[in-house]
Amino acid sequence: MNDRTTENMTIKPKKNHRSSEPVWWALFSAGGVCFAVFIPTAILFFGFLQPLGLIDFSYSQAHNWFFGFWGLMFSGAFIILPGFHAAHRIRHGLHDLKVQRHGLIKVICYGLAGLISLLTLGIWFTGIIS
Amino acid sequence: MTYRTTLSRTWWLKHNAFKAYMLREATVLPLTFFILCLVSGVYCLWQGESQWNHWQTAMGQPWVLAVNLLAFFASLFHAWTFFQLFPRVMPIRMGHISVPANVLIAGQWAAVLSVMVLFSWLFWGKL
Amino acid sequence: MKTIHITRYLPESSEIPFVQQFDIPADDSTSVLDALNYIKEELDPSLSFRWSCRMAICGSCGLMVNGKPKLGCKTFLRDYQENITLQPLAHLPVERDLIVDMDVFLTHLEAVKPYLISDDSLSTEPNKQTPTQMAKYQQFSDCINCGLCYSACPQFGLNPEFLGPAAITLAHRYNLDSRDHGKAQRMPLLNTEEGAWSCTFVGFCSEVCPKKVDPAAAVNQSKVESAKDMIIQLFKGNL
Ligand code: SF4
Ligand code: FES
Repeated sequence: MNDRTTENMTIKPKKNHRSSEPVWWALFSAGGVCFAVFIPTAILFFGFLQPLGLIDFSYSQAHNWFFGFWGLMFSGAFIILPGFHAAHRIRHGLHDLKVQRHGLIKVICYGLAGLISLLTLGIWFTGIIS
Repeated sequence: MTYRTTLSRTWWLKHNAFKAYMLREATVLPLTFFILCLVSGVYCLWQGESQWNHWQTAMGQPWVLAVNLLAFFASLFHAWTFFQLFPRVMPIRMGHISVPANVLIAGQWAAVLSVMVLFSWLFWGKL
Repeated sequence: MKTIHITRYLPESSEIPFVQQFDIPADDSTSVLDALNYIKEELDPSLSFRWSCRMAICGSCGLMVNGKPKLGCKTFLRDYQENITLQPLAHLPVERDLIVDMDVFLTHLEAVKPYLISDDSLSTEPNKQTPTQMAKYQQFSDCINCGLCYSACPQFGLNPEFLGPAAITLAHRYNLDSRDHGKAQRMPLLNTEEGAWSCTFVGFCSEVCPKKVDPAAAVNQSKVESAKDMIIQLFKGNL
């Protein structure tokens, strides 16, 4: 009774390919900290207090704030890093749901996060120099 | 001859621990929406004053408020899970004693609070 | 009286697993393993299951109790309602009844070189270790190789090539040991996609571990080590 029906369980010799995951995981972790520490406040202020008129955030005030040093910090901590955090979880979540076109999904997820980052940084940069 | 059960697409519905895990992973969905809100805000700010005012009105639409309310709870749930994982991933030792997990968790919540205080101070000038 | 539903598999008579029901007299001290032994002795001698120590030390009596991986000898009927379902450990090939093929698990354990690797010096001095040095890895050395964490891990279920919680924990345990010099040999495997990086910190492995080893923590600390390793190799120009 030695023939097993479990070919898929035998272990292929490992090629020991280093995974690129440390890079994505570092971005994911940094983004996770931002999501936890900054995003609740951001939603409170920009998602509720401002649209409900409880704080006044005028155009010139916002403009001065964003197109300067703090705008760069804001872009990183509130948009770019949380963006990569989300991309990472969506990518692994799709694997969990057995959507397993791994290469394609990786490109789409991190690609979109990268695009959003470039867009934000581009806006910030053109705003700064104009 | 052996048999092996395989996981179906809905494996995570079979146990509460897995549902909680999937809920944690799903917190990034409303987060993604809020990030897109912020990006469009930045874009509108770049475009000029009238666009900026449009963005502010758009953020006040009931459905946007509703999704962002979801995002708010998602961020707190994420924080709750994330802060618990941190001391396990990076246990901190000071000399002979390891810092208790509770202290690290409390420290992280203190960080959330100080960001709120900082924003309140920025927008209202005084407390 | 409790009713126990057991998923059985007798490959010589049927290729399809089936569920059989047994009524068991139970008091406060009846463990799941006691119930299985009662069935074998009094009701149906054909039932197969593994056990040895009946005191949560040997790690051989793992099975699913109401869908959760448990040690039969450490789980008591008093903690359950009338109906209890018993199944073989999830994610592993089932050989018969509650007996699973642990080969994959054992191969993965072996792959991480789970033993002290000495440096080349042929010193005859004993290895000294302070209590502080021991405290670094002690929790991770309590593993009894029961495999419950593999049944709890959906990432292992989705991809059986994933090294898995216990094996990575064992690697980490030796990497943390001040007497060991084998980390450089273990890292290449941990650095792979099937090494530490298949883990998404579901954390259920740590919840089911009967020895409070916290394999999820070890796996994620290994991710930190793997990331450090990547940076070091980058600066050494090896990447
Ligand atoms: S880590 Fe815990 S659950 Fe996993 S094999 Fe070891 S003792 Fe069993
Ligand atoms: S019989 Fe040894 S662990 Fe249960």
